[in-house]
Amino acid sequence: MIQKTVIVRPERCVGCMQCMIRCAEAHSQSKALASAIREPILAKPRIHLGVGPEGRPFPSKCRHCEPAPCQDACMPWAIRDDISPGLKIVDPTRCIGCGMCAMSCPYYVIRFYRDAAAPERPGVAVKCDGCHERVAAGGIPACVTACKTGALAFEEVNLYLKEGTNRLANAVYGVRI
Amino acid sequence: MRYVVVGLHAAGRSACLWLRKVDKTAEVIGLDPSPLPIYSRPLISYVLAGEMTSRDMVVAGDGFWQERGITVLGDRAVALDPARGGLQLASGRSLAYDRLLLACGARPRPVNLEGPMAEQVCFFRGRRDLERILGRVRPGGAAAVLGGGLVGFKLTMGFLKRGMRVALIVTSPRPLSLNVDAHVGNWVGERLKNTPGVTLLTSTSVRRVEAGSAAALRLDLDTGQSLEVDIVAAGKGVIPETGWLSGSGLECDYGVVADQFLRTEDERVYVAGDLAQAPDLIHGDRRVNAIWPVAVEQGRVAALNMAGIKATYGGSMAMNAIPVFGSKMISVGVVNPSLTKGCDEITTQGAGSGYLKLVFREERLIGAVGLDAPPRLGELAFAIRRRLRRRDIPSWWLDNPKQAAPLAAPGGFLARNARLT
Repeated sequence: MIQKTVIVRPERCVGCMQCMIRCAEAHSQSKALASAIREPILAKPRIHLGVGPEGRPFPSKCRHCEPAPCQDACMPWAIRDDISPGLKIVDPTRCIGCGMCAMSCPYYVIRFYRDAAAPERPGVAVKCDGCHERVAAGGIPACVTACKTGALAFEEVNLYLKEGTNRLANAVYGVRI
Repeated sequence: MRYVVVGLHAAGRSACLWLRKVDKTAEVIGLDPSPLPIYSRPLISYVLAGEMTSRDMVVAGDGFWQERGITVLGDRAVALDPARGGLQLASGRSLAYDRLLLACGARPRPVNLEGPMAEQVCFFRGRRDLERILGRVRPGGAAAVLGGGLVGFKLTMGFLKRGMRVALIVTSPRPLSLNVDAHVGNWVGERLKNTPGVTLLTSTSVRRVEAGSAAALRLDLDTGQSLEVDIVAAGKGVIPETGWLSGSGLECDYGVVADQFLRTEDERVYVAGDLAQAPDLIHGDRRVNAIWPVAVEQGRVAALNMAGIKATYGGSMAMNAIPVFGSKMISVGVVNPSLTKGCDEITTQGAGSGYLKLVFREERLIGAVGLDAPPRLGELAFAIRRRLRRRDIPSWWLDNPKQAAPLAAPGGFLARNARLT
């Protein structure tokens, strides 16, 4: 089976934050921006725009590491890898909001907010779930639909690796691409 | 191939999962004396605080083990014979293994108190301790907590939530002295002092436990005072459960000594979790870091090595996150530069971004502590593993820890090897 994943090419990012908006929309109850902003528990983005060197934008999202440090640190075993292959997904009904996962994440992509899936909890870990429901229904992740510059793309990981190999070859032989 | 895993909590459960992942056909036997289902031990503090029911602590019911084809025996291992590859169980059975993982953890450190009622001191480690404590909780009554570490702090907050007055008795001059630096420790101390119902007694220890007159117990303190309380609970750390291994010939120092593959002296016996005295990332020697993420990671690394896949354990380090009075307190690695030679520190305390201190030794990052800081200690823990130098931390990161891109982003030190420009 060909596994596709969201590939981030930060050098193409212009910092428009459309991905954040579409991410929050896709994780809202109503799945539509106009009504999502009026929901009692606001859906939050799971992709973040960091500020890099010289103020350059850097889209940062969960890499779904394997093995995942957040999953190692999760005491109630709320970060599951059995929901969708290759994805680490937080089960908000088990999350106790202790912060151990956010503390272990090397990429600073886990935040704590109230979540409509567990409304009684003051804050649960919110992070990228790979839009596994959209993908299972034949769609592509919401952040990718929003990106106009190609900074986010839903691609086969091997193609990206091949591209990296070509870039390395070009860099070694001094070819500018 | 038969794998036997002794202890099925953090390290043991993780090891079982990985053994099954990498070896689909082998026989995996788990051994745990506590009755099933397996629960997550740290969650007992949430049950004490009434934020969770004890049913919610369960992380692996019967179905969990059946699905993965792992046999679970509710028995205790009492002796190990590495030469013959056999375990002696409390029920009288013996169990042979091809590869063995010792993950039976630690027990609470005894408090060594005198007095006729010293046996009444409760500990806070597992479900039995929780039940014992819950059976003695009296709303409106008084409780004493010995030990100002994270367990002591959790106990204090738990008793408070249950409507009790709490005296937190700490031997050191401030609470959380081993977990956070003086700034954060003193802040927590101040908050505790100002919390109605809490009495914080620092630089104080308990001498004797006697029967009380007004309440069940009377504590005699070394300051000459005495306290009448309904319940005494102690959280003074843990000691590895090595007693039953004394005749096995395995090298036991503080815990069971393991190499970088988490293998003991016997090549068929591995060790993980609170029992393992394994390489320490910062100090360079072998230490026990009795924390959850270390146990789970060690369980994984040991399982891979047991299955014949070489995996090197990078080393453990202390790491904690705990909500304190609505603030998030986080620490990793060495947090008290004064206790370690040749240390240096830098602090960022910007408006809105909380307190974040980075600790360096010989220009290398070795620890950090934060209070309401952006939760970036994962990056720093990662950076400690990569031996980050002080000059490698980009200024854009330090100037704006709330918004800055991860250190692994382009331009950051951790991405340097991958950068092609």
